[in-house]
Amino acid sequence: MRPLLPDLLIRYEPSIERSMMTAPFAGHEISRRSLLQFGAAAGFLLGTGALTGCAGPTGLPGADTLTLALNRSLVSLDNKLNQFDAAVTVQRAVRQALTAIGPEIKPVPVLADRFEMTGDTQWTVRLREGIRYSDGSPVTIEDVSTALKMYRQVQGSFVAGFFPEFPTVVPVDGRTFTLESEKPIPILDALMSMILITPAAQNKPEELQTGVGTGPYVVKKFNRGAGTYSLQRNPNYWGEPAAIENVEVRFLPEESSRVIALRSGEVDVIDTITPDSREQLAGLPGVVLKEASSLRLNQIFYNFRKPAGHPLSDVRVRQALSHAVNGEALVKDVMVDSVTQAEGVTPSSLFGYTRTGSYVYNPAKAKQMLKEAGVTDLKLKIIWETGEFPSDTSVMEALVEMFGDIGVAAELQQFEPGGNILAWRQGKAGDWDLLGNGFPSPTGLAITMLQGMYAGTAEKEKTRDTYQGYVVPSVTAKITAASSEVDPVRREKLLAEAQQAVWDTWPCAWAFVPKSVLAHTDRVQGLTLSANNSYPLADVRLES
Amino acid sequence: MTTYLIKRLGQGLLTVFLTVSTVFILIRLAPGDPAVAYAGPLATTEQLAKVRQQFGLDLPVLEQYWIFLQQLFTGNLGTSYSFQAPALQVVLERMPYTLTLATSAILVAAIVSIPLGVWMAKRTDTGKELGANILTIAGQSMPDFWTGIMLLTAFAVLIPVFPASGFATWGGLVLPTITIAILQVALISRMVRREMASNFAAPYLTVARSRGVSERTLTWRYAMGNSAIPVFTALGTRFAAMLNGVVVVEVVFAWPGVGSLIVRALETRDYPLIQATVLVTALLAVLVQLLIDLAYPLLDPRVRLGKAGSA
Amino acid sequence: MSTTNTLPPAALRPSAVTPRDIARSAAVRRERAAKLKLWIGAACTLLVVLPIALAQVLPLADANAQDLSQRRLAPLVAGHLFGTDQLGRDLLSRVLHGGQVSLTIGLLAVLVSGAIGIILGAAAGFYGKWIDTIVSRLLEAQMSLPLLMMLLLVVALFGPSIPVITFVIAIAQWPEVARLTRSLVLVEREKPYVAAARVLGLHRINILLRHVIPNVFKQASLVVLLLLAQAVLLESALSFLGAGPQRPFATWGRIISDGQDYITTSWWMVTLPGLFIVLLVIGVNLLGDGLRDRSRRKKKEA
Repeated sequence: MRPLLPDLLIRYEPSIERSMMTAPFAGHEISRRSLLQFGAAAGFLLGTGALTGCAGPTGLPGADTLTLALNRSLVSLDNKLNQFDAAVTVQRAVRQALTAIGPEIKPVPVLADRFEMTGDTQWTVRLREGIRYSDGSPVTIEDVSTALKMYRQVQGSFVAGFFPEFPTVVPVDGRTFTLESEKPIPILDALMSMILITPAAQNKPEELQTGVGTGPYVVKKFNRGAGTYSLQRNPNYWGEPAAIENVEVRFLPEESSRVIALRSGEVDVIDTITPDSREQLAGLPGVVLKEASSLRLNQIFYNFRKPAGHPLSDVRVRQALSHAVNGEALVKDVMVDSVTQAEGVTPSSLFGYTRTGSYVYNPAKAKQMLKEAGVTDLKLKIIWETGEFPSDTSVMEALVEMFGDIGVAAELQQFEPGGNILAWRQGKAGDWDLLGNGFPSPTGLAITMLQGMYAGTAEKEKTRDTYQGYVVPSVTAKITAASSEVDPVRREKLLAEAQQAVWDTWPCAWAFVPKSVLAHTDRVQGLTLSANNSYPLADVRLES
Repeated sequence: MTTYLIKRLGQGLLTVFLTVSTVFILIRLAPGDPAVAYAGPLATTEQLAKVRQQFGLDLPVLEQYWIFLQQLFTGNLGTSYSFQAPALQVVLERMPYTLTLATSAILVAAIVSIPLGVWMAKRTDTGKELGANILTIAGQSMPDFWTGIMLLTAFAVLIPVFPASGFATWGGLVLPTITIAILQVALISRMVRREMASNFAAPYLTVARSRGVSERTLTWRYAMGNSAIPVFTALGTRFAAMLNGVVVVEVVFAWPGVGSLIVRALETRDYPLIQATVLVTALLAVLVQLLIDLAYPLLDPRVRLGKAGSA
Repeated sequence: MSTTNTLPPAALRPSAVTPRDIARSAAVRRERAAKLKLWIGAACTLLVVLPIALAQVLPLADANAQDLSQRRLAPLVAGHLFGTDQLGRDLLSRVLHGGQVSLTIGLLAVLVSGAIGIILGAAAGFYGKWIDTIVSRLLEAQMSLPLLMMLLLVVALFGPSIPVITFVIAIAQWPEVARLTRSLVLVEREKPYVAAARVLGLHRINILLRHVIPNVFKQASLVVLLLLAQAVLLESALSFLGAGPQRPFATWGRIISDGQDYITTSWWMVTLPGLFIVLLVIGVNLLGDGLRDRSRRKKKEA
């Protein structure tokens, strides 16, 4: 005989009919009992599920609460490791640095009231009088030196990459100290805007997710899992106290969810929105859009690791392909005027930017140039990671068509976040021709971006650490000269030369500068979006 | 009974263990590098190497597995890379939200589908039943992400009566629950109908009816009593399946549960978080399955747990 | 079970049962319901499958031809029956060409899962013992796996190509076929003809392959249509979560997930491809249901 139980234990899958081995049987008492038992058992099972671990709603914000919806989960309040735009606003509301990048993309003092270059390798800094953390303790020079040490110690730190070297703190008196370095760091005032200050005893070489800072808000509670933070006004703030009592930070990864949440008034502010969302929200009653230029350059970059005989190693071919790109149509139709075409190798918003040329759509010329270069049957592979820039997939699909129009077959390979695009970019996993990529300059300086992308050396290329294999020694020499030049006038001249030299190598088929776009409900007042895509939370007011 | 329980529990734990081990190996074979997701796209090779060393990813996979096992027995599932917090803690913070959604969906499904199934069974082969039958087929034919987006557009955008995302008020529970329940009601009501119909056609019911037992008693005590096990199994199994994360629905409604967590953990190749999520959800699923098995003798006195072989 | 299956032929003998009674009898109504389901199912399926099969022949715009000046046109505007998408591509053409990819994946997946399921299920049911233990454990283990997550993981592991996605869906589906085949074979192997074959000295593999499987094959293959419906749904869910074939290949899930960003302004980009999926899956499900009703009745009559 077949055993009864094993059959019953095989899971019932309702979508496919399966005869169960339940022979019907008679008997009044048994039926009644089993019904009662059915109820009891069902109640027991569901009850355990319901009672042991269900969650209640997270609660609606009150009328005096500002709700922000970020598209990335806020996992750090001091940005030691990684920095993404959306987090900056909240981080600066809790922690502050000695300086900040101000509205004119120039460093302005915050916790310092004096930040001056007093020698080629020395800056003198004085802490503002009477600044205190939210718990009432004063800010000390030791906090600054500890912060520098902690940022340096973090493995794979994003911030550390921008420092040519970390300066040492030498106290002068109770409030004054000098920052000493081996070589000149003429941009140290901008760099120090990324080092957020925390009491030395509480600072650790890892991302801080809570704790006290000097900012206008304090963390009331947070739920890492759900990515929510509740901020409350800091009563001991050293400056003008914040206008809004409470700020709720939510995490909504899907762009469409954020748009709908804003429309329905569930959230007050959504930042870094895509061109499509902007188009959907434009003109809606009760919604205000804010725009600012950004510190980011998005590029369709060539692979510079091609062998000498390859068409892409020929600067004429690189230039020819760029004439195939209808930049105007991409800007107007695909990205709905939320970006501008680049006219140089850095965004025009950066300090030290030089206009070097522009991308011209001319398919006839493109074909002509390809012919002159003797290139036929060119096939391109374009790679990029989902979400690298707004409307990325549409831009890429449009590019395939545009290259097709000049007889160049293009193929796409899209990588999901977390995939192995890095191995591809480094040429370790497969060959490619064009890369869709964005590069930010959080310091607001053109030199930062030039160093990151174009200052490649043969030594760096050994570990594949150059930007897509871009190694042009003459360019590198110009950038290096500009970066250590102490005299501002000469530095500017060197910078301009370096940028023109880069442009002449046609490093990308097309480049554009995205605008930072933010949307908020009309009850939000006094929000000023700056070029680094953040805004001072303390100035924001709510209309009752 | 006790031996049966121990045996089942042992089998369940073995399943969980094998599942977690498979996932452990699979994610390490998959392309992608947690260090890149962690340190950002601008990190140098040297920085990436340091991060890998810090996470212990520079060791051979088997050695990593051995360390993982040792930690597993001390209840330590490692630190989530992206949350910078104990992975288990992150999962446990998310689990209640998935539990809430699953419980609410299964309750709605049970409340709607059992009466609906009985109604259909009583009207077998009528026009109304055919209509309901086709409707349930339609219900199980809609992709849940599409249903979700449609409901969202209708009731959060066009007629904004419910919040579109998250779980700020109880209203936020409505749309995701409906989205899940549509499919579950379709599946469960069809099986209730089938079970009840076969009981209605059985001779014992004819005998009882001829003895003058009321129609209500016939339906709810006799037929339902005999359909209890399969119906209950179906409900429990669906519930267990939901604990694995109602991934798509959570993504559509930005529900802060484990389903949307796992999608993100995969994106960032957050190995400890993936492992912790799989461990917790698989454990819960096994637990629910065990509870279902334990409920059988309550539902049907003929079932004796652990005496199966002698039947 | 049924009390009406032995109706005397009215013409031969006088009977109180009028043709009207017969027309109202449960058996006839059931027959009619099954027929109706088959008709509706066939209509829905053909409505979707025919245009998809003829996509290359129909006078349609190229699925990948973009016209950036004609972005997101509403349905019926400028000759676009379904409107256009975010790059000015004809949505109908994309849905039909996407349907070719989705349906191909679905059909292949069903073939693979059907083969694995029938072989393993039959082996488990026929041989019992350790094969049964292993297969049953596998079936059970798969129930407690976070299935969608495992599928996403495997797609990430081997890259999102059509063979990988097909294989992954087949892996998700084989348990249903295996479970059904196993239970059918369990019944079948106790039948006298199996014992007779054994007495005749036929090898067990021979009995299984030449006699038992052909006997259960018809019933087992009835689930194929239902599996196809599920495969289409699963494929679209994977594409929706980003694990679809490389661009610019359109699949239904990808079209919907792309359209999701425009839901408040361009309803058609999500609604219409979704309706296509729903129509196809309803059609296939109804067909499967109708066929099953019919085969069950025939079995009863036999």
